[in-house]
Amino acid sequence: MSVSNLLENWSQFRHAHPVDDKPHDPYKWAMSIDLDACTGCNACSIACYAENNIPVVGKERFQHGQQMHWMRIERYWDEDGRDFPDQGAQFLPMMCQQCEAAPCETVCPVAATNHTADGLNSQIYNRCVGSRYCSANCPFKVRYFNWYDYPTDEAVWPAEMRQQLNPDVSVRSKGVMEKCTFCVQRLSAAKSVAKSEGRIVREGEVQTACQQSCPTGAISFGNLVDPESRVHKQWQAQRVELDKDKQAKDEHEEGTDLRGYRILEELRPYPSVMYLERVRESAV
Amino acid sequence: MKDIREDIAWAKINQDVMKSLENPRRLYWVILFVAICAFGVGVACEIYQYRTGMGVANLNNPQVWGLYIATFIFWIGMSHSGTLLSAILHLMHADWRKPIYRFAEAMTTFSLMTAGLFVMVHIGRLWQFYYSLPYPNERGIWPNFQSPLLWDAMAIFTYLSSSILFLFVGMIPDLAIARDNMADGWRKKLYTLLALGWEGTDRQWRNFRVTYLTIACFLIPLAVSVHSIVASDFAMSQAPGWHVTSFPPYFVAGALYSGCAAIITLFIILRYTFRFEEYMTKSILKKIVRLTFAIAMIWTYLNAVEFAAVWYSHDEASKAVLIEKATGTYAPFWWGMIFCGSVVPLVFAFERFQTNIPVLFATSLLLNLGMWLERWMIIAPTFSHGIYPWTWDHDQWPSMVQWGMVFGSFGWFTLLFMIFCKVFPSVSMYEVKEMVYHRTLHLKKSETAEQGAH
Amino acid sequence: MIDSGSIKQLAGHPIDRRDFLKVLGWSGAAVALSGCGNTSVEDGKETVVSYVEANDYMIPGVGVYYNSTCAQCDAGCSINGRVREGRVLKLEGNPDSGINKGKMCGLGQAGVQDHYNPDRVREPLLRNGAKGETITWEKAYALIAEKLNGVKGEEIAFLSGGVSGHLKVLLGNYLDSIGSKNHFVYEALSPAGVRAANLKSYGVALPRYRLDKAKVVLSFGADFLGSWISPMHFSQQYAQFRKGADGQRGVLIQVESKMSLTGANADRWLVVKPGTEGVLALGIIHALGTASGEIAELVKAYDRVTVSKATGVSVSQIDKIAALLKLRSPSLVLAGSAVEGYAHGAQNAIAINLLNHVLGNVGKTIEAPVAVPFPQLAPSVGNTASLKALNDGLAAGRYKVMFSYATNPVFTAPGAFKFKDSMAKAGFKVAFAHYLDETALQADLVLPLDSALEDWGTQIPEYLADGMQLNIQQPLMEKLHANTRSMGDILLALVKQRRVEDYKGFEDYYAYLRSSLLQNKGALGAGGSDDDNFWNEALTKGILKIASSAAMLSDRAAASGLQLPKAEEVDAKFPMHFIPGVTASMRDGRHANQPWLQESPDPLTTIVWDSWVEIHPKKAFELGIAEGDIVEVTSKTGSIKAQAYLFSGIHPEAVSVPLGRGHEALGRYAKGFGVNPFGILDAVYDKETGELAMHETRVSIKKTGARVLIVKDEGAAGGLQMGRKIAVSKTTDQVDLSEEV
Repeated sequence: MSVSNLLENWSQFRHAHPVDDKPHDPYKWAMSIDLDACTGCNACSIACYAENNIPVVGKERFQHGQQMHWMRIERYWDEDGRDFPDQGAQFLPMMCQQCEAAPCETVCPVAATNHTADGLNSQIYNRCVGSRYCSANCPFKVRYFNWYDYPTDEAVWPAEMRQQLNPDVSVRSKGVMEKCTFCVQRLSAAKSVAKSEGRIVREGEVQTACQQSCPTGAISFGNLVDPESRVHKQWQAQRVELDKDKQAKDEHEEGTDLRGYRILEELRPYPSVMYLERVRESAV
Repeated sequence: MKDIREDIAWAKINQDVMKSLENPRRLYWVILFVAICAFGVGVACEIYQYRTGMGVANLNNPQVWGLYIATFIFWIGMSHSGTLLSAILHLMHADWRKPIYRFAEAMTTFSLMTAGLFVMVHIGRLWQFYYSLPYPNERGIWPNFQSPLLWDAMAIFTYLSSSILFLFVGMIPDLAIARDNMADGWRKKLYTLLALGWEGTDRQWRNFRVTYLTIACFLIPLAVSVHSIVASDFAMSQAPGWHVTSFPPYFVAGALYSGCAAIITLFIILRYTFRFEEYMTKSILKKIVRLTFAIAMIWTYLNAVEFAAVWYSHDEASKAVLIEKATGTYAPFWWGMIFCGSVVPLVFAFERFQTNIPVLFATSLLLNLGMWLERWMIIAPTFSHGIYPWTWDHDQWPSMVQWGMVFGSFGWFTLLFMIFCKVFPSVSMYEVKEMVYHRTLHLKKSETAEQGAH
Repeated sequence: MIDSGSIKQLAGHPIDRRDFLKVLGWSGAAVALSGCGNTSVEDGKETVVSYVEANDYMIPGVGVYYNSTCAQCDAGCSINGRVREGRVLKLEGNPDSGINKGKMCGLGQAGVQDHYNPDRVREPLLRNGAKGETITWEKAYALIAEKLNGVKGEEIAFLSGGVSGHLKVLLGNYLDSIGSKNHFVYEALSPAGVRAANLKSYGVALPRYRLDKAKVVLSFGADFLGSWISPMHFSQQYAQFRKGADGQRGVLIQVESKMSLTGANADRWLVVKPGTEGVLALGIIHALGTASGEIAELVKAYDRVTVSKATGVSVSQIDKIAALLKLRSPSLVLAGSAVEGYAHGAQNAIAINLLNHVLGNVGKTIEAPVAVPFPQLAPSVGNTASLKALNDGLAAGRYKVMFSYATNPVFTAPGAFKFKDSMAKAGFKVAFAHYLDETALQADLVLPLDSALEDWGTQIPEYLADGMQLNIQQPLMEKLHANTRSMGDILLALVKQRRVEDYKGFEDYYAYLRSSLLQNKGALGAGGSDDDNFWNEALTKGILKIASSAAMLSDRAAASGLQLPKAEEVDAKFPMHFIPGVTASMRDGRHANQPWLQESPDPLTTIVWDSWVEIHPKKAFELGIAEGDIVEVTSKTGSIKAQAYLFSGIHPEAVSVPLGRGHEALGRYAKGFGVNPFGILDAVYDKETGELAMHETRVSIKKTGARVLIVKDEGAAGGLQMGRKIAVSKTTDQVDLSEEV
């Protein structure tokens, strides 16, 4: 509890993200989601429930808006005033964007949410006192609070179903905030294996639960600073840079013919998730 | 214009105030009983919430904050009354504050305590609230000093401790009077202990004046900063409807407003209950009413500034929230706030209402209702109609648990306040004597003050 | 404890499966660990590691992965189960399977919730009045033998869902042993109409659909991304289709009366008057102008204007589609479940299949399927005509003994069948069940089954997506409940009652399977490897890939005799078309007790835990219906009440209520949620196949005056973005996809 400890670590701890002189090394986890490949099937969302011990809250609590899906599939309609949705719907998987300058990180009074060295927004359950300021400040509203004590609720996890719980992931009690972690338990396991072999995690060695499940392969996940990774190549091909709030390609009036973008980029949270725009055929 | 009668003897002042401690009107007991019941309701609600989870408050994603935060801010706001009267008006040599600043200071202290309670009931894991304090721990973790909520915690602690100090220091001469005029018993022991051996010597008075003034000067910027910090809970966020630079002064103005309105309410109650008609005179009431009116207009202006700033900004999300406030689910409450906050105080502009007790009582309650609504209307529309349309929730209302705790908080505050008024002199005897004393300077030499010079 | 994600199968360790399972053995109760955050670490510490002498490959904290086959639907995807400390935690896709190639749908993920479900039946139950008494297995078997004594074969009925593999063989042998030929294979949702049409159009029931090779997919109501036939496989083909073999993005056009998940992903979604899909197909053939002979003769009457009037699709749209199909080749035209639900359903599908012939897709994107080299293992697929036959028999009092397995007809039979009453007429009813569902509740004897994750088996799906493979099902852990049995073991015990000599060599179903597979290991691709190696390899992989030849595709288009009905008059009493919706998670309702699926929002409406009535906003406005109004949907057969949801992806003259909810039994997460549209289906049949025409029911809609707040995931803004750039879309002329990774 030394003051020097506080002062020394403070600048590192609270260093503004993103930064050029302190690049992420050797990992920066990022994701890219192809909205043209996403079919809206919800497999990713259910896989996330299975992997991360997410409680099913039931009809009444869902009605109150207390659902817990870390990954939600949003469905948008075209707003062209036509009688029928001629171009189908648009699905968008939305989860914690692991923002580099996360609005949630600065406002937690007890420092329960911080940025890790490998670029994740961390949520420390046992530090969280439940002030919910992080959720208030999240523009995407992807943080979910445990409004009830689900582990002791028989309706949520009857004794038999508790055996399905993933032992690598804490089961959260009431009063703490939770959100997508990019399956940090899988990342830790992979890093541990790699470390014991004296190397870093290679592309394809670790998958998030959602990525692993997605039937069309719409989700790419990996190490953004690894030039071999798919996610790095995608970000590069789409000319989306992590540390810009307005991309160079968007400077032109007519826009760009590249599909990559980040949501609410202008608010400058510097999200680590890039989306590829949905495409619709113009010839039909 | 004389605020109190010039010819009140000092001994009579002592008598009147000391008698109030023994023998208030029956209304006192009624109020005390109601306060205990209300507090009981609040406690029951909290126990239920503590054991079951925050979900019983009917909060959800995105409406993660509700009446707890709104009422928290309301109580912080109320706390500015004391500082305004004790400190600011003290520096301005407004003598009319003297009979009333004591209970206003008490109001400040107890408002802060009530607000503190709300911080605790609002967080999901109340039993770990101490994580927000910088205490030595085995993990070597400090709280997050970047967070406005933490500034809140620091500021409120500082403000509370300073207010208690201020209240206490200011009471010392009165406690000495009480000590000297009290029959033996636990009260006498209490006053003896707290009076710190005050004898009323010149040296003591000199030190006293300097100390009092110093704390007053310290407390004024503290009060401004506390509510500015509370405002920054919102202003530092980028939620639409919150990210407004005028929030700190707006909140401070609102705080002063709500504090003054509460002073009027309590003034009327105490005047009747403790038979303080001589001291809490109508002319003082008139002055506080006029002050409230002025602050109401300032608040109205700052409110309009907020709307204007949103309107001419390019922030579509904030504009949408403003329109939603005026036309959406919560519109009746928002318009209620506008009415209570900006239209109702116009009553104070009319002289015949400025000393009309029933009208003033009703109006002051409406003003505070307006201020409470204002805090709620800052929170609910922004959450229900935020940046991200998928999560809009226009149908969330606080549950009975939340209302129960809001109700309970009023009970808690009233309980503390009433106990205070029964144990400690709620009119500052020595300062009232100063008012009379100054006047007696102009009395004929033949007429002297009666016995009991303190 | 950290799981090492890279330890997959433990190849190289001679795993004796039986020893391994014995070693694993602790049953469910002891495994209820307290690591749920609220009790102390000290509690349950004894159960963290149960074995004093663990085998060297069992490392606590490190997961072991086993392959098996998913049984949540009949696509036959292969799964990879993560097992830790003897319990299966999560299912992933098995990358080696040609069907799902490592991917898993949400329904498959919920397989663990089926396995760990608290409402599973755990003991054999014998009816005693209105209650069920627990009896022993010995008594149960004895009772069955007793009830079958002296009963003629034609008085016995065995109702099952689709079966394949060794279970089918054993079941067939059992029925043989009791002299019965009455095996009714029933699936409430089956592409029977499409099968019949395909037989006529291509000579095979289900050809191989090559979406990945197509440049344009014109799908008439085929929800291949959601619930049609083999969604995991089609989804992956779809991903390739969108990228395009030569970089040109594939175009999807979906034609249906109610938007399905696939329709939501279409470049062009066309709403048609219900039942006129075939007419549109013929109209497109006419517009193409390339048909000759028989087909040209047939489509002469289907000019664009006539077709446009009949279907509601504009002339310009028909032209655009024809132009696109001409330009981009090969294409693929699919006829799905939505088109076959009419009295002329098979004809509808044949008309649509004609397009493939005209466009020259047969042989390119319509390929010959593999021939299953072991016909006795090949799947017996279910349909609804079999249920009708059974129902007729039951109602006539023909059956003294009835068995039911993997099916819930009391819930899924159309209301017009009055199946519950019919079933009551059977003398002695046995249900082999996982849950006390509606059908089990009507039975006299309920025999509890092992879950799919506890069971042995082999499976061959109807749709072999990627060459011939035999799916292996193996237990992923010891069984949870001591007294459940594998269906295979039950059938073995039953067949031994009649044919002791033939089966006495098999101690249990496992022995039977192993022996059978080893006997045929040559044909199964093992060649010269020894028995144990072959067996272990098979279990490790979870599938056996078998060389096989392709079936024969007919290139003769069946155009003669094709007759599509003209528009019919609308019955004023029942003016609206009723479309029972099929969702990927709920399907026919067998999974309604899996809470992940109940809480997973429907992709199109985002509604959870309840049923709804989809109604077009224009129609709703006309009838004064607002969102959340409880409306009554009444057919000739019955009525249901559900909340109205305004949905523009439906024909204005149609309403849709999703299937799968409205259970009165099955379990705590199913009972009482939603309404059951099966109950109001009229008894109308496809003229050609005799299948239930699910979309022929007509209904009337009425407000009841009640209103509720719909429980759904979308917020007050519905599907609008309110000017914020959240989900962005471009058209193909605005993007350059060439540089993409």
